[in-house]
Amino acid sequence: MGPVLEVSGLCKQYPNFSLKNVSFSLEKGHIMGFLGRNGAGKTTTMKSILGLVHRDGGIVHVLGQDDTGSDVRRHIGYASGGAVFYPRKTLAQITALTRSFYPDWDDAAFAHYLEVFRLDTGKQIRQLSEGMKVKFQLALALSHGAELLILDEPSSGLDPVSRAELTDIFRQLAAKGASILFSTHITTDLPGCADDITYIQAGEIIASKPLPAFLADYADCDGLEAIMVKLEKEEIQL
Amino acid sequence: MKQLVKKEFTFTALPLCYLFLLFSGMTMIPGYPIAMSSFFLCLSLFQSMMNSREQNDLSYTLLLPVSKADVVKANYLFCVGMQLLFFLLCAVLTAIRAGFLSETAVYTQNAMMNANPAYLGNLLLVFLSFNVLVLGGYWKTGYALGKPFVYFSITAFLIVAAGETLHHIPGLEWLNATAGHWGLQTTVLLLCAIAYALGSRLAMKKAQRRFDKVDL
Repeated sequence: MGPVLEVSGLCKQYPNFSLKNVSFSLEKGHIMGFLGRNGAGKTTTMKSILGLVHRDGGIVHVLGQDDTGSDVRRHIGYASGGAVFYPRKTLAQITALTRSFYPDWDDAAFAHYLEVFRLDTGKQIRQLSEGMKVKFQLALALSHGAELLILDEPSSGLDPVSRAELTDIFRQLAAKGASILFSTHITTDLPGCADDITYIQAGEIIASKPLPAFLADYADCDGLEAIMVKLEKEEIQL
Repeated sequence: MKQLVKKEFTFTALPLCYLFLLFSGMTMIPGYPIAMSSFFLCLSLFQSMMNSREQNDLSYTLLLPVSKADVVKANYLFCVGMQLLFFLLCAVLTAIRAGFLSETAVYTQNAMMNANPAYLGNLLLVFLSFNVLVLGGYWKTGYALGKPFVYFSITAFLIVAAGETLHHIPGLEWLNATAGHWGLQTTVLLLCAIAYALGSRLAMKKAQRRFDKVDL
């Protein structure tokens, strides 16, 4: 079986920024840390994968299909640390609406994740903490059987305990076969959970490989944070 | 598609939209530019669209397994649905005013637009301008609503003003007649209905093409 997500030669041109030939692939059951500083192109890449941003060039294969039309999107779950929609609606109202769009919706799974994440469906979105909002988005994504989770900085704004909780959840989901593309600029989230690292800098992928190989390439650095600082300093000097 | 339309009517729409259907009752007001009632319904649709924009509705909806074209179509179907419901209510009230109450003094001495098929046609033209200018303008960007609504407001007032003015022109008195001239008035209504149906459909198709090019 091929990769769950394959991005090849992805290009997108903006007046002041461009994605240049972005390529990487994500295997089933793997967690890929998508690393880069703010404005490096992580969100644009993810939006291109989701079909929210038009590609100027390149190919995106999700689950073997070569676009992200509505059929493929049934199998993708998305969560973002900054996403807030319908803040005055309750979780129950949003859940009822969401489930109507997914024929494979699993009520038992949703009930399970509500319990695991300790979510109260009577609450309004605005009453949730940032971490709980991400957990709610995850519960929705996992209840329609998403095989690929695209998570855009889900740990931004979370306290260390909540971040550790999230990474534990990611590991459990990957063990069940879900593939996770997880963007972050918080390097401490990744060692305990990522299988692979894809590093993006100013719209270009400068490395995409298993985490141990990535760390070995920068053996002189003490961990991901030091690698990131080194790479970004080099870029500024260039 | 069915779920998207249901979402528009039951989840995204403000209760205001349903409440403002009551403005169809303005059909019964004598001595008033009754075609303005259509503007109030459009105002509620505009408020509802602004509200859904502020609630980040698009961020939620476009992550569902739906196409961008269907999202636009569902929005058009919602607006057209509300407009037709309003039109239906106005049609019933027009039948009452022009039928059972046609001899009532306040209506026989009415200086403004009378409720008749030409009035109903006038409503459809206001709705068409909303569908072209507000919906068309909004889906060009997925967020800009202010300018399209200003353009619509000006257009709507011109359409209503035309409706109030034309029947004062010699030879066009039949436009405001409450008895006789049903054939001519019905022809006007029919032409307006055709313009509404075709214009709204074309506006929707154009909006779908425009929104497909928008990066979110």
